Amino acid sequence: MLKSFFKYFFMVIITMFVFFPIVWLVSTSFKNPVDMFAVPPIFVPANPSFDHYATLFFEAGIVKYILNSVIVAVSTTLLSLVAGTLAAYSLARFRLPYRMNERLSFWVLSTRMFPPIVTIIPLFAMMRFFHLLNTRMGLVIAYTAFNLPFVVWMMRGFFMEIPEELEEAAMVDGDSRMSAFRRIILPIAKPGLVATSIFTLILSWNEFLFALILSQTRSAATLPIGVASTVTQYEIKWGEMSAAGVIAVVRVLIFAFVVQKHLVRGMSFGAIKG
Amino acid sequence: MKEQLKIGWFEKNTKWLLLLPTIFILLALTIYPLIYSVIAMLHTVNIRTGERTFVGPGNFIRMAKDPFFWNALKNTAIYTCSAVSVEFVIGLSLAMFLTTKITGRNVFRSLILAPMMLPPIVVALIFKIIYIPDFGIINWFLALFGIKGIIWEASADTALISLILVDVWEWTPFMFLILLAGLQAIPLDPYEAAEVDGATGFQIFRDITFPMLRPAVLIALLLRIMDTLRIFDQIFIMTGGGPANATETMSIYIYRHGFRFTNIGYATAMSFIMLIITIVISNLFIKRLKIEEVF
Repeated sequence: MLKSFFKYFFMVIITMFVFFPIVWLVSTSFKNPVDMFAVPPIFVPANPSFDHYATLFFEAGIVKYILNSVIVAVSTTLLSLVAGTLAAYSLARFRLPYRMNERLSFWVLSTRMFPPIVTIIPLFAMMRFFHLLNTRMGLVIAYTAFNLPFVVWMMRGFFMEIPEELEEAAMVDGDSRMSAFRRIILPIAKPGLVATSIFTLILSWNEFLFALILSQTRSAATLPIGVASTVTQYEIKWGEMSAAGVIAVVRVLIFAFVVQKHLVRGMSFGAIKG
Repeated sequence: MKEQLKIGWFEKNTKWLLLLPTIFILLALTIYPLIYSVIAMLHTVNIRTGERTFVGPGNFIRMAKDPFFWNALKNTAIYTCSAVSVEFVIGLSLAMFLTTKITGRNVFRSLILAPMMLPPIVVALIFKIIYIPDFGIINWFLALFGIKGIIWEASADTALISLILVDVWEWTPFMFLILLAGLQAIPLDPYEAAEVDGATGFQIFRDITFPMLRPAVLIALLLRIMDTLRIFDQIFIMTGGGPANATETMSIYIYRHGFRFTNIGYATAMSFIMLIITIVISNLFIKRLKIEEVF
């Protein structure tokens, strides 16, 4: 009895630790300049101000950043999901020569180990050569490359859990390999597809370094760049900064709760049964 | 399936066709950069004009003599070691504490996922607000206990620690979740047997829990170390590497040379070293994981 009391006590304390900074961000975003630096600090502003949000939407043009982010994240997800799922199916089901199944899977995973700063300089040169700098297309290509290993590993894990007899039965009934895949396997793997796509959405939504270097103009800059621009060299606009932070967070948190069941598993690349 | 005589070219090569897009994209975006880097690091390149001068090992000699490079390496090492070990200790203790099922644990589990889902730059903003020296909430709180205001990330003495604390806040839940998943995957029989044999709690931990948890530990450490070695976003926003280079990590320093000073040759040479460090460390872990048959 006492023990479980301690456990609850602990869980509450930790949840507070985790959430306090986030709540503080939200609260700051609604404070007027006087409340912002009041001593003692004000936790819930008495008359919340929406000025910072208004500035962001009407003057700072955050809508454009949001739009870029949505387009880039969605296209990246579609592209890497299609390519990655097909590759994962091949790796999970076919026997490739020269132990290529393990070797290829491993190689795919190892590309994920590349620190982004290592790839970004050549990538910058490449994008400049193809005139893809400051375009959403350039970002989508770069993001697809760094999401693919993840998609391949997640989906490979999901496919390997589906018994092979299902396709064999369908093929005996006259399906081709690919129509069996489409008709039987994809619907079964749907939860996996959903979880994986939400992960890639979050990853592309949050990414900063590639965006910083590959999309410097507003025509392609994503939300993290917009948020970062509120921290200028000369002054920090605390209110706008926190409001921009809240805008960037809302979507991600909703997604995270949708997939929390698959999260640990996805993050450990399916290596541990979560 | 030799009986099927009419196999088209497409059916015969399905397995390769399916792999083709992925292999193509990954080759273009990993192998090409590697080749580019190997060439660039032997030259000095001006990224705007594209001019190249061959310098051979010149960039590496420069690196050996560059105190800021060693400083960046040192900061990265300190950051990685301290952040990952603190996260590991807290994460493991929490996971052990909460292994047994109690109502509400799953809710708790999904709640504490929040920090690592946030965009890293937003995490940086949050702590910039919390760390404000004059009016910040932390200093106000510390003042209640009579502790004088700390200048956190704005002072060279405390900047690195402040950033490590941010990392701990952001990523301890991840450690906890992976280790918890690992603990739950351990079958119950050995524990029952140990109890029958009258083993002590410490013996059980040493001889059953820890060995069986090893794969999860290795994976959690591997992933966190890879992530902290490349840390960029939070530092870029919070300090930009300052004050006085106190928080300049490898990624930040390479970025500065590559995109601020446009020393492409020097930047790629440094990133090559960084890649080698990453590969060596990850191979140590992967070898162990292969021995334990996780992969």
